[in-house]
Amino acid sequence: MIQFLFKGIIRDKNRSVLPILVISLGVFLTVLGSAWFKGVFSDMINTNANFTAGHVRVMTRAYAENVDQTPNDLALVEVDQLINDLDNQFPDFEWVKRTHFGGLLDVPNEEGETRAQGMAIGQGIDFFSPGTHEPERMNIPSSIVEGKLPGQPGEALISDDFAKRFKVNIGDPITLFGSTMYGGMAFTNFTVCGTVRFGMRALDRGAILIDISDAQIALDMADAAGEVLGFQKSGNYDEERALQVKDAFNAQYAADSDEFAPVMQRLNDQAFLGYYLDLAKYMSSIVIFIFVLAMSIVLWNTGLLGGLRRYNEFGMRLAMGEEKRHIYGSLITESIIIGTIGSVVGTIFGLAAGYYLQQHGIDMGSAMQGGGMMLPTVFKARIGPEAFYIGFIPGLISMVLGNALAGIAIYRRQTAVLTKELSV
Amino acid sequence: MENPAIITIDKLIKRFPVGNGEFTALNNINLQFKKGEFTGLVGPSGSGKTTLLNIIGSLDTPTEGIVTVLDHSIAKLTHKQSAQLRNKHLGFIFQTYNLFPVYTVYENVEFALLLQHMPAAERRKAVLDALEWVGLTDKINSKPPQLSGGEGQRVAIARAMVKRPAIMLADEPTANLDSKNSHHILQTMKRLNEELQTTFIFATHDEKVMGYLNRIISLEDGKVVKDEQVVPAKN
Repeated sequence: MIQFLFKGIIRDKNRSVLPILVISLGVFLTVLGSAWFKGVFSDMINTNANFTAGHVRVMTRAYAENVDQTPNDLALVEVDQLINDLDNQFPDFEWVKRTHFGGLLDVPNEEGETRAQGMAIGQGIDFFSPGTHEPERMNIPSSIVEGKLPGQPGEALISDDFAKRFKVNIGDPITLFGSTMYGGMAFTNFTVCGTVRFGMRALDRGAILIDISDAQIALDMADAAGEVLGFQKSGNYDEERALQVKDAFNAQYAADSDEFAPVMQRLNDQAFLGYYLDLAKYMSSIVIFIFVLAMSIVLWNTGLLGGLRRYNEFGMRLAMGEEKRHIYGSLITESIIIGTIGSVVGTIFGLAAGYYLQQHGIDMGSAMQGGGMMLPTVFKARIGPEAFYIGFIPGLISMVLGNALAGIAIYRRQTAVLTKELSV
Repeated sequence: MENPAIITIDKLIKRFPVGNGEFTALNNINLQFKKGEFTGLVGPSGSGKTTLLNIIGSLDTPTEGIVTVLDHSIAKLTHKQSAQLRNKHLGFIFQTYNLFPVYTVYENVEFALLLQHMPAAERRKAVLDALEWVGLTDKINSKPPQLSGGEGQRVAIARAMVKRPAIMLADEPTANLDSKNSHHILQTMKRLNEELQTTFIFATHDEKVMGYLNRIISLEDGKVVKDEQVVPAKN
């Protein structure tokens, strides 16, 4: 009997090819949509993690309370020892020093007099350590418009917009006016070695990037840094692991009431990033729910039409002595077979398209112009383990649900009514 | 030796709900059918022929009265029991042959035996025998859309008789056929009736069919108005 039903499915295109195409398309969109949303939100999170927050971030308690003001007078001290301890305790993380600062960039003329001045936000990051990942992490090499990365002390990258606005060329001197860790004035000369454009308005208006050691000298922060960031070596943010690390670290300082005691926060603890993380988590569910609903409606309709088209067949089968339960069972079995085939085909194509977008992404730089948020310009999909099975949920459930609903009509109609239709 | 009745109908009444009231389709029917009869239920549209055929075929149930088919009281059968009765003992032939369009002639006939879980070798022999009976052995791999009307109805007959039912119920089997094909079909069914002693009950108002019948039951407004034994004109 199973063989007989299989023949029917294969030969009747309206029972096989059409539903398989509909399911495949729906599953394809579900898999791709879920991978795409996951990738986009992951990219947004990673961009913010890479530029500002890390996967986890260590600060002093006082600094953490005023983190928006980047108060370097409340910075961490003895950071080399701290990083050494963190490396030993949590080797699955890479620990780096970062110092954010604000200041005034002064551009002198040939006589050394001020030609132009502009506000700038700056970051001291690790450019010089062998094997440092910081430039790549912040996507600096591919953001360079002119020049090169800082290669020696005293060199700085500035934003390309700033350089063009004040006609600053590669090799020109600039002076950073800021305040030291101890509240004094800081004046430090740098040589522009390159210009950068990140595609993020927040950074491109006026930025200066220098090595962390230069920042320590300029801001009088010997063996100090505003923050120590931790990045998971896997490259992806695992919030459960981050929570473990945060809890373990903070437990060590729980009894310490000093406002300069270090405290660790994870990415979720950042005000708006926590919202985005939650959004990323629920977005996939919303996408899947929408597809399940849409596909249920489409397949309910397909199943109903298919069922109506097959009323003669069902009536004849009843007349020949087949039980209603058996006919209903065969209808559900067919829908499981069709749903499984459609889900497999849709998942394969969805994964293929998702993999392409994971590798190449879509450049949405032009759409992001003028944005104030830190957003990547190229959005990529991300295929996780769930992409391999997620399509089966709508693909299989919708098909079976649609047919189950349509098949209920077999029970609701009187046998004689079905058979009367045979004489039409 | 006495030929006992295989179908007994006693004071059968069938009503259908219509709007707020009821329509009486069959009114106090009392009949008996014996093994090997070739009987026709005749009458105008709405006289109750198909309703009576459906109740005998356990596709419908009486409102009142008792209908016994092969010792099974139709009113007392569960869905499963009535399906089993149809599966093992009853064959149906309809005006529109109702073949499964995506299956071959062979597979259409085979389906009846798949429901009986008959072993494959036995099944094959029975299917080929049935197709030989109706003269369609050269069409076993054809599909219904490739058949003529007469051939389609012969496949329907083969499908109904392949399981060797005791009773064949035919609802206007010649209504869609021309005269030549109608006679061919009727001759086939008459031969089955004579050689296998299968009981045939027709619902018809086709004069061609009446020429083959040996009993004619006339219905009007749900009542039996005449029940007569006849000598078939086409014997």
